[in-house]
Amino acid sequence: AGAARSARLPLARVKALVKADPDVSLASQEAVFVLARAAELFVETIAKDAYVYAQQGKRKTLQRKDLDNAIEAVDEFAFLE
Amino acid sequence: MAERPEDLNLPNAVITRIIKEALPDGVNISKEARSAISRAASVFVLYATSCANNFAMKGKRKTLNAGDVLSAMEEMEFQRFIAPLKESLEVYRREQKGKKEARKDKDRKTDSEEQDKSREDDNDDDDERMEEEEQNDEEEVDN
Repeated sequence: AGAARSARLPLARVKALVKADPDVSLASQEAVFVLARAAELFVETIAKDAYVYAQQGKRKTLQRKDLDNAIEAVDEFAFLE
Repeated sequence: MAERPEDLNLPNAVITRIIKEALPDGVNISKEARSAISRAASVFVLYATSCANNFAMKGKRKTLNAGDVLSAMEEMEFQRFIAPLKESLEVYRREQKGKKEARKDKDRKTDSEEQDKSREDDNDDDDERMEEEEQNDEEEVDN
């Protein structure tokens, strides 16, 4: 929630992803940090959106199909298709 | 040296913790769902990087900066991330500044103890270190 962080993705791993892009020459440390934080927010968001489908199915376990449903339903997740 | 997106994954333990904290108590997540979310997060970073890089290039800059990433969020229709990201960035900047001050103070103390005025290098360059908490703002990305 906001700036409070209890889970933190390691910047080194995020940096590895940034380096994988051949068009990127340099990335500031801050840019890597914001990307890491954005990825965390993304995980929260997609988990919550998928959970809606688990609830519909009266399940307490999030399953792969819940995720597939969320990806199909939410416009912002179109890049995952 | 292109790596397949599947090889660039984020640590399972952290991903799982983020998911659990986002969901109500007592909710579980299957291994398949967790893997899928982890892969999606990697793809998200790759896509956001590419998007951010477009903004850097538009600004005729070779270095991707935080502003480019925020612009990418807007472009990707994740506007709701922008406010919390800005907050986090502020906290991060303060933390980094605090670290720099602490190192400068340490160097100053060491100098007065040694009574040696000459210093070989700057306070804040540790170019060789490939750790998470890096001291310099820019890094060479070899491609």
